[in-house]
Amino acid sequence: MTAISDAATAIPAPAVTVRRQTNSGRIAMTLAIVALVAVAVMPWWASTGTIRMILELCCYIAVAQMWNLLAGYAGLVSVGQQAFMGAAGYALFVLAQTFGINPFLAVLLSLIVPAVLAVPLYFLLHRLDGPYFSIGTWVVAEVFRLVASNLPLVNSGAGMSLRVMSQYSAFERNVAMSLLCAFMLLVTLGGSYWLLRSRFGLALIAMRDNPVAAASQGVDVSRLRFLVYVAAAVGCGLAGAVYFMAQLRINPPSAFDPMWANVAIFIVMIGGIGSIEGVLIGSLIFFIADRWFGEYGATYFVVLGLMTLLVALYARTGIWGLLSRRFDAPWFPFRRFLVDPNR
Amino acid sequence: MDKNVLLEVRGVSKSFGAVRVLHEVSFDVNRGEVLGILGPNGAGKTTLFNMISGDLKVSGGEIHLAGRALRGEPPFRRCKMGIGRTYQIPRPYSGMTTFENLLVAAAFGGGRSEKESYAFCAAVLRECELADKANRQAGALTLLDRKRLELARALASDPKLLLLDEIAGGLTDDESKALVGLVRRIRDRGVTIVWIEHVLHALLAVADRLMVLNFGERIAEGPPAEVIALPEVQRVYMGIEA
Repeated sequence: MTAISDAATAIPAPAVTVRRQTNSGRIAMTLAIVALVAVAVMPWWASTGTIRMILELCCYIAVAQMWNLLAGYAGLVSVGQQAFMGAAGYALFVLAQTFGINPFLAVLLSLIVPAVLAVPLYFLLHRLDGPYFSIGTWVVAEVFRLVASNLPLVNSGAGMSLRVMSQYSAFERNVAMSLLCAFMLLVTLGGSYWLLRSRFGLALIAMRDNPVAAASQGVDVSRLRFLVYVAAAVGCGLAGAVYFMAQLRINPPSAFDPMWANVAIFIVMIGGIGSIEGVLIGSLIFFIADRWFGEYGATYFVVLGLMTLLVALYARTGIWGLLSRRFDAPWFPFRRFLVDPNR
Repeated sequence: MDKNVLLEVRGVSKSFGAVRVLHEVSFDVNRGEVLGILGPNGAGKTTLFNMISGDLKVSGGEIHLAGRALRGEPPFRRCKMGIGRTYQIPRPYSGMTTFENLLVAAAFGGGRSEKESYAFCAAVLRECELADKANRQAGALTLLDRKRLELARALASDPKLLLLDEIAGGLTDDESKALVGLVRRIRDRGVTIVWIEHVLHALLAVADRLMVLNFGERIAEGPPAEVIALPEVQRVYMGIEA
């Protein structure tokens, strides 16, 4: 320690405190816990159809939040996260169907696959800058799809079915799917929030705002980007495993569907990049739009695309950005407000 | 090597393609010293800082900090080794508050725990006259406050060597006097300072030594009064024909 710190500590201990929670945050946290419990106990209040719908919404939220971490904080604009969703989905089917491992245990085991794949992929991809990185991630997802289409282990292009699930009753399956959904939200949203509030949250936001300055202030930007990439791969893998477990079917085009990247980008751009609130808002908007207007097919996608374009041009911070400019009421506050009586 | 030398720059060169920005510049900075760097725009001053802080790689030559070669060390590790810097064009974390900006430097560069950083950063903010803007969004600060934030944030990383890149530009006389007082206090605590500055009277009030760069070469170095009086410096820097 240098003389600066000695001088600072020589000043009679100032009773400096830091305030972190806000009223809006307390209310939102209570609602979030209620919602999480409601998801976990879905079989006792919702029909199988509703559970399927909510499961889909949970997958959107999880994938969008992972994309938000990647693009919103680490500056890694990936359009190929479906690679990890498909990889984990296939891992689940192989473990449960081919090797006879308990499917619910297999969901967790399948997460090893995206984690292991993400490491060498990052070392290949991180040399690419900006748009080249994006194209690289897309190519990787396409390669995964082609490999799956030609790999006898996963039944090549014909795909696989999760027949082992028929040994469980519909109710048992619903209970498992509901618990998995709650777990997925806890890990992806709760985990992100915990990360943002931690010491590493400081580094993440600093990296988002100015990576050059962050590096000159002691933040290991390249390691942080790597860790975010691996974490996002695992998070997307979890969403993939849960989604395809509910589908009971997987084949290369569905497993590595680029639609997931589009959905994640739409949700985060509309909701507000770099915020958890934005992901929730964007996911709800997409979910509702998909229910109501999905039947219009191509026209519906054109409208979604135009909306994303308009937001990108005129409201870069998305809906949450517009809201938070007007009302200072974060749902997931991670700010550190200094209360310094000595000033 | 001399134990008293903190920063040793040996024959450092930098070229961007065919453009030569710095050519074999050498100098030492002693512990506890304030070295002022003068030079017209484009002389290579900021490039020199970028190579010391690791933002740019050297094309040739060596830089040592306290006897340790810096070659191959990334910027974040150089910060942890004790190099703190400000940017000429401020680079705040605009989405964070002023206080949080300092916390990043204290927690990562300074290696403190988050809790320890709180009181320390509050003290640095008071010292740099930013205490009343602690919870203000850094992106909404005025240019003057952003420059103060650059300095405060560099201090929060607890540097042994502080690189100041034009922090006095645009200040009023009173503000620049206050800044000189602050730089002196930092120096008095044993922090070694290298200061690039166009505001000559501010620099002359603190610098123990001056170095003048022109077109990427060192053209003079020594006690401030002597360096300023050199005919070549007068011609190059102040446009006075001797």
